[in-house]
Amino acid sequence: MTITRKPIRLSFLRTLFGERVSRTVGAVLILLVVLGCIFVPIFSSHDPSDLVAPPMQAPSWAHPFGTDVVGRDVFVRTFAGGRIDLFAALIVVGFNATFGTLLGTAAGSSTRRAFDSVVMRIIDAILAVPMVVLLLAVVMVVGSTNAWGPLPAGLPGAMIAMMLIGWAFYARLSRGQALVYRESDFVVASRIAGLSQWRIVTKHIFPGVGRLSLSNAIGDLVASVVLLASLPFLGAGVQPPAPEWGSIMYEGRGFLQQAWWITMCPGIILALTGLGLSFLADSFLDSREAGK
Amino acid sequence: MGTRALRRIASRVGQSLVTVFVVCTLVFAMIRLIPGDPVLQILGNEASPESIKALRSQLHLDGSLLQQYGSYLSDLLHGNLGASLIQRGRPVSEIISSSVTSTLTIALFGLILGVLVGMIAGVWGAVTRRKAVNVGVQAFSILAYATPTFLFALLLVLVVALMWGLLPAGGWPGGFVQSLPYAILPAIALGVNLAPKFLRPVRQEAIDVQDTLFMEAAISRGLPRRKLNLSHVLPNSLLPLVTLVGISLGGLLTNAVIVEAVFGIPGLGSELSKAVAQRDYPVIQGITLLMSVTVIVGNLLAETMYQFVDPRARVQ
Repeated sequence: MTITRKPIRLSFLRTLFGERVSRTVGAVLILLVVLGCIFVPIFSSHDPSDLVAPPMQAPSWAHPFGTDVVGRDVFVRTFAGGRIDLFAALIVVGFNATFGTLLGTAAGSSTRRAFDSVVMRIIDAILAVPMVVLLLAVVMVVGSTNAWGPLPAGLPGAMIAMMLIGWAFYARLSRGQALVYRESDFVVASRIAGLSQWRIVTKHIFPGVGRLSLSNAIGDLVASVVLLASLPFLGAGVQPPAPEWGSIMYEGRGFLQQAWWITMCPGIILALTGLGLSFLADSFLDSREAGK
Repeated sequence: MGTRALRRIASRVGQSLVTVFVVCTLVFAMIRLIPGDPVLQILGNEASPESIKALRSQLHLDGSLLQQYGSYLSDLLHGNLGASLIQRGRPVSEIISSSVTSTLTIALFGLILGVLVGMIAGVWGAVTRRKAVNVGVQAFSILAYATPTFLFALLLVLVVALMWGLLPAGGWPGGFVQSLPYAILPAIALGVNLAPKFLRPVRQEAIDVQDTLFMEAAISRGLPRRKLNLSHVLPNSLLPLVTLVGISLGGLLTNAVIVEAVFGIPGLGSELSKAVAQRDYPVIQGITLLMSVTVIVGNLLAETMYQFVDPRARVQ
């Protein structure tokens, strides 16, 4: 979620094979993970929390990722956990991007400067505090053990915390971009032509700002999944026994020597998701807006 | 250094002080926003009225909200962070000073490593004519970006410590020299996570520099390639690093806390997550304030430094 300057394209696949290959590889990776998350829990004969075999069994045909410290199937848990991680990241990033972009565009293209500076002071205050501190604070206030409906314990608090903070990055980025467009020739021309402020903002400024936010949002999905999976290591986040990539790995970290598969198999899936999203985000960048 | 630059620095110092104040207020509000009575949550429902009263005054929860805020701020100004609720009244400042060394060591080594790798790989990837180097730099950057710090840290423990037995898998013996081997793997985990954040802007800057007029002039004077890269491209590409180091301090501290958990290092992070789990509010307050102030001061230093390093920033 650290977006401090305009994104820079840096996909080695693009350099080697061009844009279409980079986009295809990214899409295929994401599709595989998403399909796994949808279908593995449906078609497997056991639940993610079922004890199916003796503890800490190495990967085999019956259990491709082995079993964990109490004998649950890591393969099923990983893909059931992916549902939680991907769902939460989509909701959080969707909210942050929408709210932040709308507010940032409004502030940047507003004719009332007071509105702009109030919004900017709030953004500055949010961005000045280290993320971990704000996250832990919000998680503590919301409660780290609350389960809401189908959401497992710890997830609502983590999601609210990420939503309270994350929009500020989009708002700052969108405001800057809106300011650039406000002074650009085509906006000045439409102003001279007598178009209303509403029409200028919705038809001429917002589309460009929105595209920049969209390409950021895809990259931000990586950061959000990583952040959510890191929270168990900070004493917050999704609480066991719910399967979530971070909490599975946190549970397995003390048994690296005896059973590396408990941490490494979900880790590989997490890294592949991150890679796929990075390739995709890269190919969505408009070449006029991105660096070289 | 003109008066204009001095005035800008002064106004940045003012802004930072306001931010520090906002953070203090946030921390004050945080403990009061927790649903229910924090005192009852700590002591349980069967606590005696005396102990409830004592804890209430210790946490500045008695009196009006304004009085609470006043005594909280005056304690802070006197450098009094209060005492732990769980660890038998141990002062928070003592908890911090005994745990800060390990965190600081791994964070500092991680930062140095991240800057070095980001700087060298960024410039090298930009000036090289060999495609393999360019692709390698990009591959490293995107892999390091997509891999979470804790995953890479766990991988280091598994491969370097457990399989090869080269370095200790975790812990912290205390004492600077004895602890150095224990700091290597955590520092590598932090540095590798940090490097792409430096690498990308440095690489971009190094590419941009090559299109400038002074580069053209230097090339036409017939300077050798190596000299050109070292004396013209490198110094100009390092400018973004100054501000980037300041900006990335917050993320570095977050990751240091995570890496501590992976390696079982007793530091600020383990104290913080222990305090969060046990609702030890004074300790949470103290560490929160320390981390925030570190980041704010780091940002301020970075921006002030920039005025000295880049003459153009003084004119604009």
